[in-house]
Amino acid sequence: MALPQGFNEFALTDKGALVLGAEHPTGRVGAVALAEAGAKLMIASQEPGTEEMLKETAKAVQAAGGKPPFIQVQNASIRADLRSTIDAAVKRLGGLEAMVVALDAPYYAPAEAADDAAFDRVIEGNLKGVWIACQEGGRAMLQHGGGSIVIVSSVLAERGVPGASLYCAAKGAVANLVRALALEWARQKLRINLLEAGWLAEEGSPALANDEFARSLLKYLPYKRLVQPEELAGALLYLASPASAFVTGEALAVDGGLLCRV
Amino acid sequence: MIADNLRLDGKVVIITGAGRGLGRAMALKLAEAGADLVAAARTREQLEETAAAVRKTGRRCLIVPTDVSLSEDINAMVAATIKEYGQVDVLISNAGAGEDAFGKTIDQITDEEWRRGIDVNLSSQFFGARAVIPYMLRRKRGKIINVASGYGLRGGKHNYMYACSKGAVLQLTRSLALTYADDNIQTNCIVPGIFPHNERLMAFFKGGKFIPMGHGGQDSDLGPLALFLSSEASNHVNGALIVVDGGGLAGGVTPTGVAPQPSA
Repeated sequence: MALPQGFNEFALTDKGALVLGAEHPTGRVGAVALAEAGAKLMIASQEPGTEEMLKETAKAVQAAGGKPPFIQVQNASIRADLRSTIDAAVKRLGGLEAMVVALDAPYYAPAEAADDAAFDRVIEGNLKGVWIACQEGGRAMLQHGGGSIVIVSSVLAERGVPGASLYCAAKGAVANLVRALALEWARQKLRINLLEAGWLAEEGSPALANDEFARSLLKYLPYKRLVQPEELAGALLYLASPASAFVTGEALAVDGGLLCRV
Repeated sequence: MIADNLRLDGKVVIITGAGRGLGRAMALKLAEAGADLVAAARTREQLEETAAAVRKTGRRCLIVPTDVSLSEDINAMVAATIKEYGQVDVLISNAGAGEDAFGKTIDQITDEEWRRGIDVNLSSQFFGARAVIPYMLRRKRGKIINVASGYGLRGGKHNYMYACSKGAVLQLTRSLALTYADDNIQTNCIVPGIFPHNERLMAFFKGGKFIPMGHGGQDSDLGPLALFLSSEASNHVNGALIVVDGGGLAGGVTPTGVAPQPSA
């Protein structure tokens, strides 16, 4: 796959690219976009038992004209697993120049209902995993001349939502992690940015429930509809590719204008 | 396919401030992606150079000498666009002024300079949006791309008109984005950091050593973003501020290039 002339800045021709969380719809969209831009891909999941979902992602990549991606599913602790996934990516892809981190662990509950186990689970799924991915991925990418990391996040990184305090806290933490890492790596040609998705049409989202919250949310959204994961593709490729060569430590919202409103 | 979504074939894009620098670079990038252009700026000679470069890519380029601070000039420029092409798909309000005033103290700034700066940087973008929106509403499609500055989000010493006008551009972007979200008109804002266009600015910004990435932006750094925001690939991006500044706004609570020492 290659992009036509005139779109060279968006191309990732034969560059090694890794998508973490590729079993999620957003990770799948990222994998397809990177493949369309010509990247050599590894797709990985941090959830045991997601082999079949990753195979679906691999099929989507191939349907888009990409070569069959390498597949990696977690089988150890987060640290050991991410380290081995990233080492494998460097080895099999011949280097790593783009990494999309689509790890996400949604959690909606009143503050008083969240016990310490919930805290650990939400912080691990949304923050610790991203932190380790950045550490391990950053290490590998710095050794190979830099690249671009894109963290797929949510508008909840920027605003409060009732009944989602822990999730908002974790997403907010990741947003500021991105800023600090961007500054730390700015002179080593390693960029890192955030993609903030609006309310996504994805399985399990409270935005899809048949209740008062979902109904009033839909009316509140500037587009009066949820974001389809495919609608993140362009922004994702912009951030992952040299098209955004002078952009680091920034957040790009794909939310139909939601963050503009009061 | 993402490449199909990025293509701009058949689209008509107006760029103000297209006579040089960032405006010209954006015009060329969009032409390469298939767009036909309208280049607006005050100086005809500069526009002709831009148009010649655009035509080399095989695309059309209408030049309209325009003082963007005057709504009648903007209206005439948009009317000329419709007459030539019959449509307008994208407006990039890039024209700006006032960087030359950086460093002037408050008592040195005249009423005329203040008003002229606000008109060129802010009123021009309002006039532009007001002029194109009726045509975009008719076709239920359109993209408005405003160009602000990192100084629209942070203050600067002796930086009044510029910071105020650019900050207001962000708010103009947000309100347009919300108002026309239902009409498939997306309004977004490119927020460039330091792009030293001339030696005076390069000296003023000390060669970019205070920028986290260690250098200023190049004219070519905005082209791909303008392309993305002009294309169908950005249809769910609305009201976004997209900062292109080498990491500048991500920091700011410590001086660039130094870090606190590890805690014991």
